Amino acid sequence: MEQVIIPIIASGYYWHLPFLILVISLVYSATRHDDWRIISIEAYRWGMRMLSFLGMIGIFLYLVTLIP
Amino acid sequence: MNLNEENPPMAHTHTVNYSILGVPGAVLSYLVPGLGQIIQGRISKGLLFFFCINGLFYYGLALGQWKNVYLPHANNLPPMSLPLNQKVPNCLSYRLQYVGQFWVGISAWPAIYQHFNYDEDSDPPPDPYLGKYQRTPPETELNLLQNRSDRSWDLGWVYTVIAGVLNIMVIYDALMGPVMLIPEKQKPQPPKDLN
Repeated sequence: MEQVIIPIIASGYYWHLPFLILVISLVYSATRHDDWRIISIEAYRWGMRMLSFLGMIGIFLYLVTLIP
Repeated sequence: MNLNEENPPMAHTHTVNYSILGVPGAVLSYLVPGLGQIIQGRISKGLLFFFCINGLFYYGLALGQWKNVYLPHANNLPPMSLPLNQKVPNCLSYRLQYVGQFWVGISAWPAIYQHFNYDEDSDPPPDPYLGKYQRTPPETELNLLQNRSDRSWDLGWVYTVIAGVLNIMVIYDALMGPVMLIPEKQKPQPPKDLN
C-alpha cells in the first residue's frame, strides 16, 4: 500500500506557525483593549481567523499538488 | 447629547494620564517591549508584551541560527535609490529586514554596534563583549545558511521582523492607550433634517 505523507507533517517548519499566530493575535488584541476578558475573546477570534485563512491557502496548495 | 461627557469612547480599565506618561511610556516600550505599560501601571499587559515580543524575536533569531539580524556595509554593491530618486544607505537597501527588526528595541542594537565598529570585508576578530552576535556573516556562510538549511533561516528573519512591527503597535498603545473602536450604539448620530 502506498504511503501518503501530508505536506504539513512532512515539512517541519509548519510547526513553528502556532506560536506566531498565538503571539500576533494576543499582542494585536491587547493593543486594542485593556480588559482581559475582551482581549482573550478578541485574541481567540483573530487566531481562528488567521488559522482558517492560512488553512484555506494550505488546502488550496495541497489540491494544486494533486493535479497531475 | 455630548458623546464625550456621557459615553466616553476610551473607557479604560486603568486610568492612565497619557499626556504625562504617554511619551516616556512609548520610549520605554520601544527600548524594552512592554516596559512602558509597566510604568503606567498596566503591569500584566506589559508582561504580556514583554514575553510575547521578545519571545517571538529570539525564537526567530534562534531559528536563523542567531545569524539573521545584522546590518551589512555592502561596500562592494551598487547604491540603490527610491522611486523619487532619493538615495538609501546601502546598509538598509541591502538589508531591508533591519528596518522592521529595529523596532524591537535594545535587542536589535548589537547589530548597529557591530555595523559601526567592524567591517565584515576585512574579516575582523570577535568583539570582546558581543563576539560575532548580530554581525554580518561572511557571504559564503550566508549562502550556506540559505541553500542548505530547511528554510528556517528565512522563516527566522520573518519572525524577527514581525516582532519589530508588533512592537510599533505596543509603542502606540503606550503613547495613546488602546485603540478601541466606538461601539455602534455610541456613535454620534447625524443631525436629523428638520425640513
